[in-house]
Amino acid sequence: MQADAPPSIQCHDLSRSFGEGAARLDALEPVNLQFAAGETTAIVGPSGCGKSTLLRLIAGLDTPSTGSVRIGGETPLQMRKRAALSVAFQDAALLPWRTVRGNIALARKLARLPPDPAGVDRLIALVGLAGFQDRRPADLSGGMRQRTAIARCLISDPRVLLLDEPFGAVDELTRARLNHELPALWQGRGVTTLLVTHSVSEAVMLSDRVIVLSPRPARVVADIAIDLARPRAPGDAADALIAKVTSALAQSAPTRPHFV
Amino acid sequence: MTIALHQLRRRGADRVYPVLSAFLALLAWELLARAFAHTYLIAGPVEISRYLWDHAGLVARAAGITTLAAALGFVLGNLIAIALAVGAVLLPSLARLISALALVVFCLPLVATGPILRVIWGPGLGPQITLAALAVYYTTFLPLMVGLRAAPPSWFDLVRSYGRGRLSALVEVRAMASLPYLFAGLQIAAPAAFLGAMFGEFTGAERGMGVLTIRAMRSLDVAGTWALASTAAAISMLAYGGLGRLSRALNTGPPPLILAPLLDGGRRAGWRALVHPLVVTLVLIAIWWLSMEGAGLSPFFAKRPGDVWAFLITAPEAAAHRATLGAALLETLVLALPGYLLGLALGLGLAIVLVLAPKLARGIMPVAVALRAIPIVITAPLIVVALGRGATGTVTIVALMIFFPSLVACYQGLARTPRQVLDLFDSYAASPLRRMASAQFPAMLPAFFAAARMAVPAAILAATTAEWLATGRGIGGLMALTASTSGYGMLWSAVVVLAAVAVTGYVIVAQIERAVLRIYGAEQLTR
Repeated sequence: MQADAPPSIQCHDLSRSFGEGAARLDALEPVNLQFAAGETTAIVGPSGCGKSTLLRLIAGLDTPSTGSVRIGGETPLQMRKRAALSVAFQDAALLPWRTVRGNIALARKLARLPPDPAGVDRLIALVGLAGFQDRRPADLSGGMRQRTAIARCLISDPRVLLLDEPFGAVDELTRARLNHELPALWQGRGVTTLLVTHSVSEAVMLSDRVIVLSPRPARVVADIAIDLARPRAPGDAADALIAKVTSALAQSAPTRPHFV
Repeated sequence: MTIALHQLRRRGADRVYPVLSAFLALLAWELLARAFAHTYLIAGPVEISRYLWDHAGLVARAAGITTLAAALGFVLGNLIAIALAVGAVLLPSLARLISALALVVFCLPLVATGPILRVIWGPGLGPQITLAALAVYYTTFLPLMVGLRAAPPSWFDLVRSYGRGRLSALVEVRAMASLPYLFAGLQIAAPAAFLGAMFGEFTGAERGMGVLTIRAMRSLDVAGTWALASTAAAISMLAYGGLGRLSRALNTGPPPLILAPLLDGGRRAGWRALVHPLVVTLVLIAIWWLSMEGAGLSPFFAKRPGDVWAFLITAPEAAAHRATLGAALLETLVLALPGYLLGLALGLGLAIVLVLAPKLARGIMPVAVALRAIPIVITAPLIVVALGRGATGTVTIVALMIFFPSLVACYQGLARTPRQVLDLFDSYAASPLRRMASAQFPAMLPAFFAAARMAVPAAILAATTAEWLATGRGIGGLMALTASTSGYGMLWSAVVVLAAVAVTGYVIVAQIERAVLRIYGAEQLTR
């Protein structure tokens, strides 16, 4: 498997716009970003600011209008082809006709890795789904689906993990629990992680660094280091950082007249 | 416990309603037959049973041979449909061309292709199987195209995130996601295959249900005509129901409401709008010419594109040919158009009534879904026998052909209104009529137009079938005449003109649909 060290990620003049002429929509203004190897970086910003666009460009699922992405010197496609990259999607993206086990095993198949039933079962236990391995997604709660999706991301032992609001569709309590339990599975294992979220507390509790984007077209308005020890717990230090990120987020949005 | 009991009773009621309404329909049928007994128009269930008892061996042999041809055509046509749909998905740049070619071939008039296939194939099962395949491939191709594209984008992102391409997406995502759509298509295809096979038999086969039907109808054997029609309808409905059962057993999910996708982007302006139809026409002409030359078929009966061009445009008698063809076409369209509009209006109207009166729907809808499975070649002789060979009969056949699919599509379309929208209307205690006019009717429009588009070739098929089998008028009658007198130049010209008319009608309805949906269902256009 990938014994190599986690790569760093460079985005150079990366931008994305949709449509042409009068209908042109700039989703992302040219940005230059570096993500250090092995670090977890959270990208926060208001809804529709282009966070997910940035993540999709880094994954190579979308083509940039300008600029380029390099992951440890390679293109996203090269990374994907050797299964060094995993994406967790907002809606879990589980195939409804496959069981929990089948969905996780699919990632190894797509990644052209030999089947690893023991590894699949070990991960199912680690994400807390023991006893549900033969259930289909329709029988699972939202939280359980996201646990399955995370297990699927990890079964190919990636060097880069791209999380697109993985817990955005579950309720607040479940989200807090998933945030508490799951990141330990990949943190400290040499995985470069990008997390897109609109939850400031989630960003602060999970990451080494928080990047704040402005409303569309997205610009980087703040870049805040999170130097908290792990495992993290709510407290004054965390609250101070949460306040700092929140205020950066508030200042990024131009004031608009309200009609409510 | 009470809930369980209630559910049990409810489920029982759901099962009783269709059985009850089927029984009532049979009873009404028998009474009607008795009431008109002296007019020799309708044979009731009792008379039909007696006929079948007396002719059991004959009918069984005929049903067997027709079912065999239909089954072979069903397999062949569906394999072609699956190959075309998969090809269109794997080669997206060719998808529009493949869809357009498939539509044009679907618009070929079976009535005229039958005799041509008969001279090409000679005696035997060839034309029956080919016509069955031609009759089914589009009803499978269309839903499959929708189904293969029905999965959410994130599933495809998942496949791509591991660096895999279209083939993996097809195997891992599209194949399974399209199964409910495939089965919905196969279900409709089963009766269509029977229709195709019977058409093939009309063109001079030695044995089969089609042969017996023609014989019975020409000798005004009312009991025989009805008995054969009932047998053919029963086989069609059995195949329809059997495939539905298989689909449920395989757990492919509920049959989706399939909206035939609009063919063209419609966004291109000016000369670009003409490129696509031109390319389609050129490819068609090339396929036509190559298949005739490749098979080395005699130009006497296997006309080439140039022959039809000469026959209609450059030959000395071309003007006379055009006049004959034009007059016949006009005669057909004058009857097909009112039948088309009547069938659509009746389907739409009854769907609205049934949604406003849900108790009625529980009894009628299962019967309507089942009746939709009865092919036009089965009902046409009955109506001819009952209503005579005049204009009324033809209009009724066309209307009936369109009525059932429109009813089912509109009913399902009305049921598609989002729950929250209905809740909103209920929260203001809006009347059922207001709810229908402002919420359910607009929500149904895409389904209605999809049905209206598909009904265009169906209306032409029905009108020409009636003319060919019975009235001897119009372009259907002209094709029957030229087929029997080996006037192949006229026959091929009729095929080309009718296909062109069907495609034109389809495109006109699609344009109206575009204009209406731009107001009522913008999201349907972007798909």
